[in-house]
Amino acid sequence: MGDDGSSHMGYQHSGEIMLNSTSSSMNARSMTLNSVYGSGSGSGSGSGWDPMVSLSQSGNFGASSMGSHGELTKSSSFPNLIENQGINNSHLVNYPSDPNLAQMLPKLPMFGGRNFPDIANHFGLPGAGVSHTPHALFPQIYGSSKSGLDEKRGCQISDPRAVGVSPNGKRKRDPESLSPTDENTEGDLQKDHLSDASGQKEQDDKKLKNDQNAVTTSSSKQTGKQVKENSQGDDVNKQNYIHVRARRGQATNSHSLAERVRREKISERMRLLQELVPGCNKITGKAVMLDEIINYVQSLQQQVEFLSMKLATVNPELNFDIERLLSKDILSSRGSGLSVLGFDQGMGSSHAFTQGIHQSLTAMPNSASQYHHMSQAVWDGDLQSLLQMGFDSNSNVGGLGPNGSSKSEL
Amino acid sequence: MSLNLKSLRTRFALRFIRALKKIHHQEKSFNKRYYKVKVAADASMAAAVGPRRAWSRALLSRARLGWRCRAQSRRESVECWRRKRMHGHGHARAAEGQGQGQAQAQELRSLVPGGEAMDLQNLLDETAHYIKCLTTQVNVMRGIVNCCSTS
Repeated sequence: MGDDGSSHMGYQHSGEIMLNSTSSSMNARSMTLNSVYGSGSGSGSGSGWDPMVSLSQSGNFGASSMGSHGELTKSSSFPNLIENQGINNSHLVNYPSDPNLAQMLPKLPMFGGRNFPDIANHFGLPGAGVSHTPHALFPQIYGSSKSGLDEKRGCQISDPRAVGVSPNGKRKRDPESLSPTDENTEGDLQKDHLSDASGQKEQDDKKLKNDQNAVTTSSSKQTGKQVKENSQGDDVNKQNYIHVRARRGQATNSHSLAERVRREKISERMRLLQELVPGCNKITGKAVMLDEIINYVQSLQQQVEFLSMKLATVNPELNFDIERLLSKDILSSRGSGLSVLGFDQGMGSSHAFTQGIHQSLTAMPNSASQYHHMSQAVWDGDLQSLLQMGFDSNSNVGGLGPNGSSKSEL
Repeated sequence: MSLNLKSLRTRFALRFIRALKKIHHQEKSFNKRYYKVKVAADASMAAAVGPRRAWSRALLSRARLGWRCRAQSRRESVECWRRKRMHGHGHARAAEGQGQGQAQAQELRSLVPGGEAMDLQNLLDETAHYIKCLTTQVNVMRGIVNCCSTS
């Protein structure tokens, strides 16, 4: 009984904390909560919902002994939880410290539903109140979002709203939105409310930012990226300009702003090119990157020339088109993986080709800065070998065979 | 076997193979064939891409000119490009404002067809698309060579 009494006091205190949640700071809240629940274990944010899991998994809470209380099972489940003495504060020790707990608290009235005074009363009842409300309520959240992270995000999104803009409005909306509900649909409605709340919160955040943008002048308070996101959202609200804000410590001259935008666009395109050109991940600097690009384009053009020379020698068969394309599709799916290094391996027989695939695949991890040197050497070698075959007539088609086999030895 | 008939690769491959057949029928000397195959590769690639890219447009006009009167039109087109280049350079240099990659940018302009009169931003765009199409071209041609040589 003594335990009940102390826990009762504790929960009442927490109820008051919840009542004051909007006014007090989050830190103060979490501090008091920690003191009530006997300091959280300091677990990371990732484990914020673990207590919920353990709570949800821990036994059933029986039938409602005080079913006459409250309109809903949710509110009536609070008294259920009172009975179960097995669950005590020890579960709550695992509550993480600062933000999550503070965020969970504003959530509780939302899910606890209708009447905030009811919740306070429930919390005031002897026995375990709070520990069971999560069980009752948060499995709903679990159902709505797959990962704890999502819930956290939802909580975090709800937080500025609860603290900042219009917490009263939100709390008022809760009973309104949830009042015409059944027991069965309450979970769905809560889910919807979650998504609605989060969506509205995002909108409100955007509106907040918009207002701030409108109010503040073009000084260097915000970062360019933030502004650009807002400007993209602003496009609907405001005119179709691209609002660019000067970053901190930079000139606000219109010329330099435009210059900076242009430079950023160019660097963005350079990044795209970096992905296209193999082996340029670690290169920083425009000049070196441009050199690499130039080399790569030159080598590609040389490959095209080389291959067109080969094609000029090879006499294509008459019934060429579709079956060629079909078979080539098989090969090209393999062939497109080959880098520049492997182009010489494509000569000759398919045996040489598959060999070439293996060789080029093993060669690919090598630094690609060598690739154009290698291709140059092989290019010369191929040219010489081709020329050596006495290559001025059509009769050299068969010459590719032995040439191919000799090439595969490279 | 699913063949994406509208992909760049298929469009290029069809055109190029048709051109190859024609060339092999027509020309018997190796040098002429080599040259024509080269032009056909570029032209079919540009035609597959279409006129929506500056480099493909330049290639197409170059190919068209090349078929008829090579030398004279090349001189003319080079003159025209040079004039554009003078005009474009002033604009490009003023816009760039940085001397970092000037020489390389110039070289890139000479590599990418039609890149003479472009500012750096568009040039980089065109280069990216050009590289993509070049790799497609190389893969398709290599596939054709393998098919021809294996059978």
